[in-house]
Amino acid sequence: MIDTNGNNPLMPYLGRLVEVKDMAPEIKLFRVELLNGGREAFASYRPGQFAFVSAFGIGEAPFGLASTPQRGGTLEFAVQRLGSVTTGLHELGEGDIVGVRGPMGNWFPMEAFRHKDLLVLGGGIGGAPLRPVIQTVLDNRPDYGHLTILWAARHPSLLIFRDEYAVWRATPDTELHLTVDQPDPDWDQHVGLITDLLEELAPSPKNTIAITCGPPIMIYYVDQVLRKLGFAPEQSYVTLEARMHCGIGKCGRCNLGDKLICVDGPVFSMAEAGDLLESFL
Amino acid sequence: MPYTDEIQAKARELLSRGQTACVIGYEAGPRGRVRPAFIYSPDDAGRLVWNRGCTHNLTTYLCQKLRPHGHNGSKPGRVAIVVKPCDSRAINVLLAENQFSRDQVYIIGVTCDGIVEGAGFKSITEGPLQKRCQQCSEHVPVIYDVLIGQPAPSGKTSGEDKDLARLEAMSPVERAEFWLSQFDRCIRCYACRQACPMCNCPTCLYERDDSLWVGAGIRVDEKRTFHLGRAYHLAGRCVGCDECERVCPMQIPIGLLNRKLAKEMQTMFGFRAGVAPVPSPITTILNGEGS
Amino acid sequence: MDVITSGALASWLDRLAAESTLIAPRSVEGVLLYRPVTSSADIARDFTRPVLSIKEFFFPATERLLTIEKTGQTITLQQTLPEGKQVIFGVRPCDARGMKVMDALFIETSPADTYYASRRENTTLIGLACKEMGESCFCTSIGGTPDDHRDMDIMLTEVEGGYAVQAVTSKGKALLEGVPLQERPGHLPKQVITASFPFPETAYWPLRFNDAYWEQMSERCLSCRICAYVCPTCRCFDIRDEPLAVGKDQYERIRCWDSCAGEAYRRIAGGHNPRAAKGQRLRNRFFCKFYYYPQQYGPLACTGCGRCVDACPVNIDITEVMSHLAEVEA
Repeated sequence: MIDTNGNNPLMPYLGRLVEVKDMAPEIKLFRVELLNGGREAFASYRPGQFAFVSAFGIGEAPFGLASTPQRGGTLEFAVQRLGSVTTGLHELGEGDIVGVRGPMGNWFPMEAFRHKDLLVLGGGIGGAPLRPVIQTVLDNRPDYGHLTILWAARHPSLLIFRDEYAVWRATPDTELHLTVDQPDPDWDQHVGLITDLLEELAPSPKNTIAITCGPPIMIYYVDQVLRKLGFAPEQSYVTLEARMHCGIGKCGRCNLGDKLICVDGPVFSMAEAGDLLESFL
Repeated sequence: MPYTDEIQAKARELLSRGQTACVIGYEAGPRGRVRPAFIYSPDDAGRLVWNRGCTHNLTTYLCQKLRPHGHNGSKPGRVAIVVKPCDSRAINVLLAENQFSRDQVYIIGVTCDGIVEGAGFKSITEGPLQKRCQQCSEHVPVIYDVLIGQPAPSGKTSGEDKDLARLEAMSPVERAEFWLSQFDRCIRCYACRQACPMCNCPTCLYERDDSLWVGAGIRVDEKRTFHLGRAYHLAGRCVGCDECERVCPMQIPIGLLNRKLAKEMQTMFGFRAGVAPVPSPITTILNGEGS
Repeated sequence: MDVITSGALASWLDRLAAESTLIAPRSVEGVLLYRPVTSSADIARDFTRPVLSIKEFFFPATERLLTIEKTGQTITLQQTLPEGKQVIFGVRPCDARGMKVMDALFIETSPADTYYASRRENTTLIGLACKEMGESCFCTSIGGTPDDHRDMDIMLTEVEGGYAVQAVTSKGKALLEGVPLQERPGHLPKQVITASFPFPETAYWPLRFNDAYWEQMSERCLSCRICAYVCPTCRCFDIRDEPLAVGKDQYERIRCWDSCAGEAYRRIAGGHNPRAAKGQRLRNRFFCKFYYYPQQYGPLACTGCGRCVDACPVNIDITEVMSHLAEVEA
């Protein structure tokens, strides 16, 4: 399940930054070309999985994989600058080398979602692990039902993957709704929280799977609305987060009750997440 | 009346009258070991004890307990605390540093003739005194709202600090060797820091996630930086309760380092920590006004 | 039974100290610790157990994982695996059990930890049965005994004039090659065992998760790390990159001990801390040992050694917690 570099799971693969793109203030998109055996390890990673990326000399941190292997052999990560590792990564440019360990964690059961309608809710940087879900649907369009994407950020400048919205919208049987907390003068779309938008759209739970990723508090309130709309906990999937240090179930840090976010997650159905001994909040 | 009964009576009175929300004192656990107790109900006041096993400096709990908490920064309830003379000086230091205000604590001062060696770790109330107590001649707390015991001086003379004398007789090279060999078995458990009332920084300089000042390794270089740095941060603030030394699982003479610097403070500035609620001459308080 | 005389044991240990790294209980400035010894004469006698367990010889307090060298845009990584054989003498059954508990995590659950596995492979454990249980010992309550040989490579039990010797594993048998043993009739001596106490089944623990008890019993906790660091089974660690040489672009990636009792343990960049309260942290500690770890890896993460009971400066007592829960269950 977890690939190792020469059988040492703490030894990172080397990766070259082939592209570093500014997506938003303090948010960059890194595209990594794996070297020295990493390509085999990441040949078939799935939406929802993550990897540990090293800013050598500072340390490593977990990031959701924001790409799919079907679209090419490079990995993409959206990195928000918040602490020492992310600051270190933000100081790197094209051609620089990073470390990558993974792929880690479980994944969204995309096979089980086939022939269902999908409701994807992404808040802020949380949208990054949902991008491969959207890409998988786009690349296998006939396999999935209607796709509704709710995408939120505090401010229009903080919306991520803006240059892909046109393609998402142009895809058959797909709709994209954006919302921001604070508009700018040019904003002509929804203003408010993602839960407001969700309540207004009031999608039907019939044959629908909801997939949410964002801050824990957003996951909580989205779940409240989904339940009000009639979604059963088994119809709702989330990704949870916790501070991680190893990513491979050894260091003990990321547990929520008896579940380790790095190996039992980060993807959970809301039924499982609600059953956790320790609250994910 | 035995001190235990007096303390219990006082606790019962304070709690039933709502004068304090909590009484921090000592109790004996099932193994007979004395340990800190947090009493919230007058019915539980019977748990409190006083004897020569009451080694802990309970003031280490005050900062967290009295810090405003919650989203609206609500002021926490008033706390009563049982203190020995050394502990009471810690309250003066914390007051001088604005960690909390005088009206937030009700101080139950207890006159003390020394705590026994092994207290806190063994079920023991009789026997030879701890080294710090052998060197102490203070009988009465320096600050209190009520005094348990008689305010007369004990007549006990303070013993010589033989360990300090031995240290001072060493050359600088010998001292460096001595301390490095002591720190070698340190495991960076931080018990010394956690037990200390004056170590109350929300994020310790030596435990940052970004390893800015010292690395995370449990190795001699890092440990030296931690201990020496901590000793400097405590100079002029440490009241010599020696709890840091007692709690150390490796029996490293941490208190000795602090006593050395305390002696320097006395020699250079004529200053002893906690005798009055004034900051030490080498502490600078930045409050925006002419600081 | 096979017996080795005290004199023959001393000679054998001296030989082991010369041939490889021999680790044994030794007094370091009055503190009993497992340390490398050069002579059997340095080994302590008549002890209950050293302050720290043997886990540091498999899972060191600080361990270098790899080195990182930057030259321009090029990065060179070098794995730094442990080397050398070690023999640990005077291992108590609780510590050997601790290694089995850690094996369940580090080796038996994929992916195996390369560093830990290497040290385990290269280490032989020579156990020493306890003649009696210490005041804070409770191995018998956790399914162990003071003379349990099962997790050792070789087990010694004190008898008249020497020690009864049991070769438990092939590794132990190999180490005993050439060591003079005498055949002696009789049985191994009986240990003095203190009464064991009941504590709840693993499945019962989740029912107590939201009890107010956790906040109450943890108020005196100092949030230091003594309990986790002296424990034979605690294994939380931190991973960092740190500079290796001043002025050069060389770094090492190290891992070092950490503890869930520490206040900042779960604090994330941005400041949110889901275990800000001491009760939440201590509850995690006890649940991890008696519920999470067994659920995830199999064995209980406690061997009843009693070190945490001895070392806690404020008398937070794992046996008190267990008794309390058993009482509530009843």
